[in-house]
This record gives sequence, C-alpha cells and structure tokens, in this order.
Amino acid sequence: MSLLEFFLDPVLRAPTWGCMLMAISTSLMGVISFLKKRSLVGETISHSTYPGVVLGIIFFATFFPRFESMSIVFVLVFAFLSSVLSMKILNYIETRFHVKSDAGLCFILASFFGFGLLLASHAQFAFTNHYKKIQMYLYGQTATMHDVHILIYGLLTSLIVLLIYIFYRPLQLVLFDEGHAKSLNINVSKINKLFNYLLVLSLVVGIRSVGIVLASGMLIAPVIAARQYTDRLSLLFVLSAIFSAISAFLGNYLSVVMSIDSNRTLPSGPLIVLVSASIAFLSLLFAPKNGLIFRLARISEFKRRCLQENILKYIWKTNGREVGHSSIKDFFHLNSVSLKYTLLQMKRKKHIYNSNGSYRLTKRGEQIASNIVRLHRLWELYLASHLGMSIERVHPNAEEMEHILTPEIEQKLVSILNNPKKDPHKQPIP
Amino acid sequence: MQTYKRKLETILKADQLCVHYDKHPVLWNVSLEIPKNQMVAIIGPNGAGKSTFVKAVLNLVEPFSGSVNFLEEGCSIAYVPQKESIDWTFPISAFEVVLMGRYGKLGYFKKPKEKDKLDAIKMLDVVGMKTLKDKQINQLSGGQKQRLFIARALMQDPDILFLDEPFTGIDMATEKLIIDVLKKLKDENKTIFIVHHDLRTLRHYFDWVILLNTYLVDSGPIDMVLTKENIEKTFGNTLSLFEEANILSTTHTKGL
Repeated sequence: MSLLEFFLDPVLRAPTWGCMLMAISTSLMGVISFLKKRSLVGETISHSTYPGVVLGIIFFATFFPRFESMSIVFVLVFAFLSSVLSMKILNYIETRFHVKSDAGLCFILASFFGFGLLLASHAQFAFTNHYKKIQMYLYGQTATMHDVHILIYGLLTSLIVLLIYIFYRPLQLVLFDEGHAKSLNINVSKINKLFNYLLVLSLVVGIRSVGIVLASGMLIAPVIAARQYTDRLSLLFVLSAIFSAISAFLGNYLSVVMSIDSNRTLPSGPLIVLVSASIAFLSLLFAPKNGLIFRLARISEFKRRCLQENILKYIWKTNGREVGHSSIKDFFHLNSVSLKYTLLQMKRKKHIYNSNGSYRLTKRGEQIASNIVRLHRLWELYLASHLGMSIERVHPNAEEMEHILTPEIEQKLVSILNNPKKDPHKQPIP
Repeated sequence: MQTYKRKLETILKADQLCVHYDKHPVLWNVSLEIPKNQMVAIIGPNGAGKSTFVKAVLNLVEPFSGSVNFLEEGCSIAYVPQKESIDWTFPISAFEVVLMGRYGKLGYFKKPKEKDKLDAIKMLDVVGMKTLKDKQINQLSGGQKQRLFIARALMQDPDILFLDEPFTGIDMATEKLIIDVLKKLKDENKTIFIVHHDLRTLRHYFDWVILLNTYLVDSGPIDMVLTKENIEKTFGNTLSLFEEANILSTTHTKGL
C-alpha cells in the first residue's frame, strides 16, 4: 500500500481524513485550554459525552432505524448536549457552592460517565443489535468510517478554524489578560462562551475516531510539543495542528498496517494518542531551544569554557613560572584523561603552547586571561562598593561572573566605577 | 491650601461605594471626588482594598452597593495591572503586547494597520525598550516588564490612566523613567491614578492622595491630607476589631 492510497482509496480514505480532521480541531482547541491552564476540562467534557452517545443511539434505534448512516448525526447532537449540560452543572457548583475546579471536574466526570455506563448496560439488553456501536464510541473505531464522516468532520473542523481565525485578536487579548480585555470593551464572557462551546464541539468530533476515553489525549499533547518550538501564538496554533495531523495519520496508518500483519484489529485511537504523546516527549528532549538534550549540551559547553578560562587564568597568575601537567591537575582536581583533552583543545585554539613540559600562554591566551581577571576584579569592586557586600564574600560570586559578563556590562561597570585601577583586595585591575 | 480652594473640574466621583468578596466587605462606604489633571496616589495597608477600588472604577468588579463614575462623557481609560497577575510564559512578544493596546479601538475584526505598528514601536521607544521588541515577555527583567505594560497603556492613548503598584520590585532608574513618562502625560492634561506603597516618595510624585483602609480615611490635596494622624489612621491597627466583628457576622448570617 502506498501512502497516497491512504488519502484516496475509497475504503482507506475515510479513516485517514476523519482522524486528521478530528485531530486538527481538537489540537486547536487544546492550545486554548492549555493557555487557560484548564487542561483537565477536556477529560471531563469527553467523558460526559457518554450518556449522550448512548441516548443518541437509543433514539436513533427507536425512531429512525432505517437510516443507518445517519446515526452519527444523532450521536453527535446528543453527545454535544450532554457535555454542555455537564459544563453548566460544573459552572454552577463552582460558583454557587465554591467547589474547587479540580474537585468539581472529577465529580462531574465520574457522575456523567457512571450514568452513561448505566444507560449502556440497559441498552445491552433492550437494544442488543446496537450495543456494539455504543461500545465503539468508548474506544473509538476508524475502520468503519464512511465518506459521510469526512463531510461532517470537515464542516465542523472548518467552522473551528474559521472562528479562531476571525476572533484571533480578541481571543489573544482574553487569553493573555482578561482584565485588560474588559477595559478595552471586549465582551470577555461572550468570547469565553463561544470557545467553550467550540471545545465541546471539537471533543464531540473526536470521540468517533479516538474514543471517549482518549479523546482529550489529543487536546494537550500537540500543544506541548508545539510550545517547545515557538514563542508566538499564531505559530503555536499552526504547529499544534500539524503535529496532531501527523499523529492522526501515523496512528491510523500503523493501526491498518499492524492489523494486517498480525491478523488482529489494533484500535487506532490508542495508537494516535501514543504517537502524539511520543512527538511531545521527543520535542521535550530534542527541541533546539528548550529541549533537554540541547540544554544539557549547552550547559556542558559552558562548563568546558569555564574550565578552559580558569586554566588560562591559572597560568597567567603564575607569571612565567613553570606550569606542568601535574600542577594543573592537582589545582583543578581533574583526572588525567579529561585534562589532556582540555589542554589539547586549548592548544588547537592557539591559546597555550607547550615548551619543555611547561605550558605557556600565547598572545591570544594572555589577552583572554587578563580580560577574565579584569572582569573578576571589576565585579568584586562593584559588589563591595555599590552593593555593600563585605570584602571577604565577594570572591566566590566573582569567580562565576567573570565567565558571564558581556562587553556591554563591562562598559557599564567601568563607567559607574569611574574606570578603577585597583580591586577591593588592592590588586591591580588589568 | 490655595489649590484646594480653586475650582477644579471633577472627573471621578464615588458615592457610598461598597464592594464585597464572598459577603466580606473589602471596600466600605467610600465617597469621594477627584479633580481632573492630577497625579493621584491610592495608599493603604495590605488588604485595604486599593486594587479593589481600581477594579471597581474600571468595572472589573461589581459594587455591592453605591456607585463610582467618571463625570466626563467618552473619556478613555487604560489600566496597568500588577505584574503578578500576568502569565509571563504566554507565547507573545513585547511588540505584540504593546500592539494589543490598540485592539480596543480596532474592535473585534479590524486588523492593525502599518501606523498602529509604527506607533507600537514608538511607545516601546518612549519607555526605552525598542531593541527588545521581539523578545518573549518572560525574557524581560522586572523593570522592563513594568515598562512594557506602561507602553501598552500609552498605546491606548488614555485620558485617565490607572497603575496598580507599578514600582514594586524595580530599580530606581526604572522608577524615575516611569515617573518622567507619567509626569509628561499629566502635562498633556491627563489624570493618573497610582496604587502606591512607598510613603517616602509620595510627596515628590503626587498632587492628590486617597487614604484607604477598607473605609475611606481621607482624600484630598497631598499637603492637606497627608498628616501624621491620617497616616496613623490608615496604617494603624484600628481596623482589626471591625474585621473581627465582620467575620463573626458573616458566620452568623451564613449559618456556618
């Protein structure tokens, strides 16, 4: 099977497009939930759809049993109403009884889901033929999706994208600073209401493909991944949508391919959520700016530079006496291998050279070393004279700052200290 | 004395304003009139209702009873919130924050024009932050964060400006820069309200002072109102009894 077939083949295309559309709409709303710090709301909303799903199917089975393909419409409408009701109750107990938001969310989730399970077990006996369909919404099933799903999800997703685009600026205002938005005469509560309904809508869209239990999984993982790469809200929306679409495609693809290989149906919902979680996890590790790996690399690079500069300073301070391998080793408590490596690097940079077993500074090395000492002493003087730190205590802080101070800060220091010649320990400032 | 007697045009009027949080009074029976074109300090101890007063004026909280109104039709108001109330990790650049000051005039759907963008950069320049325009806001220092929000307020081109504790946690140089900007605004016939806590600088910065401690201790020109007795009344412990009785009354009326 070629990848293109997944988008075009009459059997394969509905699951592919369906999953991707649902992933895009949930992840866009996920950005908003994430920025509102209400990430758990999605969990409650998706679970609260369950009574609605069961009632929708019962309603369809009782009144319109012949329009099989339209059952999705009843399910979506009932699921939507059920979730909206749960949010209204949540809001009521939060404002009226001052129940803390997390407690309220758990309470509503359990009550609605429990009620849904009760209805479902009733349906198992009263509507046995349709029970399988009810179960399907619990864990999601993409294989049985049709083109009509693409149409419905396409419309809902376009609606969400369009509304976010139209209300982008007021939304940004409200998300960032509600008080400021209010003072600019933006109707904050209307904007909040609109996007709360859209959040419910996006999760309702999600339950068919990922399932009630995992639908909210698609809400937050893409935005966590996206946040690692950008500091801009517009890009955050775009990247979240891209990551979620990729997860949806891969999850669905893996489900189909692995099911063929193993002759068992692997549910696509969990696979989609796991792919999206992996993308988030890898982003946390590997993102260029905030990723853990790069940060560790930058930290060790900084430490290496500090060590090299300290060695330069050490040689500079010995003032032409013999500085052998062992004296550096003892002074810095290093093991031989890492010291050899460091010294080799410094030689390559032409900061030091070796003459008869003793290390000496090149011209360049000397410049760097004297500058380090200069920064160290300037900083000590600043701490002592301007911040009133006692002279014995200034040294450790300056040991660190000498590697950090930029030429601009140096210039400012020189100007507030009136271009000094001696540090607090009466040492000359080079 | 003489300034007080001269007829000044009133711009803000509060009439028996009471604000409650959870049936607990935060502001109690505040009546005052503030004249136009002043630097007004709002001072009082922690929990005296200073921020609440500002929020009531801006319609951000609903008064329990009484009212507070601007007497001039259609005057525009800008508000600089406390730094702590902002989510600094929000994905937004300094430039965008300042540009947001225009969103009120633009309404829901209009896009900011080239002129708005140029103005935003100009405002950043006024507070000395032009070079930092593309920084994510959490990369700014405490003083820069404060100046950023002042630039946003300037962008709104307000007649009346409210600042909630703008001088907490910033260095003297920034404080001076901010005060200079605000004094220039005052010269342009604007009225500025600042929630303040540093009694030493009070006389240097302000013309008018509102002393709050849940109830209004006094309000008037700084030379007349800022007396030793008033300061003692404001910051002294006279209120603890009132508060204690009030908590008791709430528990009784709520049936707890």
